[in-house]
Amino acid sequence: MSEAKAVVQKAVVQLKGVTKHYSRGSEVVKALDGVDLRIDEMGMVAIVGPSGSGKSSLLHMIGAMDRPTQGEVIVAGQALTGLPQQALTRFRRQTVGFVFQTFNLIPNLTALENGTLPMEFNRIAKAEREARARRLLDQVGLSHRLSHRPGELSGGEQQRVAIARALANDPPLILADEPTGNLDTESGQKIYELLQEVARQRTVLVVTHAEPLARMADRVLQIKDGRIVGDA
Amino acid sequence: MRMVVLGVRNLLRNKLRLVVVALLIGFPFFLLLALQAIGAAVRGQTELLKQGVDTNLQLRAKGSMGHVNMVGSYRLLPHDALEKVRRIEHVAKVEPYLLAMSPTQGHNFAMHVGLQVGDAKRLESHGEAGNPRIIAGRDFTPEDAGKDVALIGQGYARWAGITPETLPTARFMVDPTRSNPVIFPLNRPKHELKIIGIYASGYVFGDLQLFMPIETFRRIYGVEGVEQGLSWLFVTADSVDNVAFVEGKIREALGGVADLIAPKAAAAFASTTTKTVDRVADTVSLFAVALMAVVIFFVMLVTVRERAREIGTLKAIGASDGGIMVQFLAEAMALSAIGGLFGMVLFRALGGVFGGPLFALGIGPFLPAQYQDTLFESLGGISAGVGPATVGLVLVIAVVVAAVGSGYGAWQVTRLSPVEAMKHE
Repeated sequence: MSEAKAVVQKAVVQLKGVTKHYSRGSEVVKALDGVDLRIDEMGMVAIVGPSGSGKSSLLHMIGAMDRPTQGEVIVAGQALTGLPQQALTRFRRQTVGFVFQTFNLIPNLTALENGTLPMEFNRIAKAEREARARRLLDQVGLSHRLSHRPGELSGGEQQRVAIARALANDPPLILADEPTGNLDTESGQKIYELLQEVARQRTVLVVTHAEPLARMADRVLQIKDGRIVGDA
Repeated sequence: MRMVVLGVRNLLRNKLRLVVVALLIGFPFFLLLALQAIGAAVRGQTELLKQGVDTNLQLRAKGSMGHVNMVGSYRLLPHDALEKVRRIEHVAKVEPYLLAMSPTQGHNFAMHVGLQVGDAKRLESHGEAGNPRIIAGRDFTPEDAGKDVALIGQGYARWAGITPETLPTARFMVDPTRSNPVIFPLNRPKHELKIIGIYASGYVFGDLQLFMPIETFRRIYGVEGVEQGLSWLFVTADSVDNVAFVEGKIREALGGVADLIAPKAAAAFASTTTKTVDRVADTVSLFAVALMAVVIFFVMLVTVRERAREIGTLKAIGASDGGIMVQFLAEAMALSAIGGLFGMVLFRALGGVFGGPLFALGIGPFLPAQYQDTLFESLGGISAGVGPATVGLVLVIAVVVAAVGSGYGAWQVTRLSPVEAMKHE
């Protein structure tokens, strides 16, 4: 990943007393319950825990995909709490890249167009964004599938397009939510390796149930009932 | 601009959705255009009638209907009335007519009318309406003067067993000896006429008439020689402003022998049937506009809402809320414009064909019973042309409603966080 930043600032991610409550009818669900977390280095950090423990919620808070009920989230030096909508959009565009379990590619766009989309939002010139998307898709092994739409790609291929898209604006932080959850073992293995390579030059936070992926991580956070109960 | 391009590109890539939504939007457009065309045709007809009413005067023998065989009402205008009226200043045209009644079923009757070939085919009781439309065969030509030929109304033709298919060999036997309680027999021989055309007038009784050259009528009914006279004279003034002058001069010249009638039937027609059609066409047009607006609004709303996950994803990868709104608005507006154009193309291609059924279904049931079957035929067809004003209006309505529907849907989703948007149902 030649375009990754050579140096990642200290405290890429910092959470202080982050709480997230959801209302489900009259019931209040505590998805996160006073989470404190600090991630200083690049590399891969796995977040593991049982279903409903708050793994995805944690990822969403870090990626400004959702706002915490309480607490402070600081990512790449930016305090997200209280940022206006426009600034949060800019943050998502430039500071983080998302990889979803269900790939979430835009169905009417080709692999190349999906890869260039975040750069379009970032107002990068057409020639440059196409060249960069081609390079990234080549790096994930899809240079022969540029003009295919998601429906014409396998699950593994779609996830590789999603990873290329996440890297498009060269963000210092990649957030992956169960990236192999919808893939077979062989495709999953390729995604593990790809994320591991990505993590050599930036910080990758990955929520996973997959033990092999967790074993590859430089750091594993265990979460239960909205609290971090293990950090190794 | 890039979001506009993205929206239009997205639209064109999903061809199935494009076709389905274009059909959904195009159909109410078609309906709207067809109803507008019907309304325009009826208004055109009304305008013609009004012009006739404004400049026409009718003369009949004093105290008589002037029908040559009507019990107690057979007195005719004197034969010199025609020349006297022709000499009056500001008279543009004088048309002489002879009329006879002919029994059909029971006490009912049809009307036989003799006219100068080339004059308007005036209908008894709706004479001001002018020429009814030929729906099969041909009209009179100058060569038909004095010949044994006739044009027949569609109702009378049905009664006589004449159809457009049998027209090439159709004959009609006029029998002046036939009578009923209001028609007295004339001791004249039967006379066979060749039917050259069938017309539709828009009136039930108007369609129960038979036109023939006035010379032929005189021969059949014996209105010749010293008996020569006229049932009606239709006088057309050269302008609306001179009608009163002409009326005064006619009263001076023929007041002792003629009744002067300023036709009211067209006005009555305009105030009943055409107004009804106008009102119904307007109401159904409004309904079509409302239907179109509701369809476009909900199609756009549903189309946007079902793509909430896509919107959430776009937000997650850095699209601004405003950018997403622009993308979806551009897509919706282009889609509705395509749907609108499709509706117009459909109307141009099929508007004429479906005008009749649409009239029968949408307007016919609301008309007075006597006009339900005949009025549409008399309109002279529905024009499938679309004027620039209509194109503009239709497109503006479609695009505005699409923008509102799509914008509302997109606004509902974009104000959510990316996670909430992706989970939004």
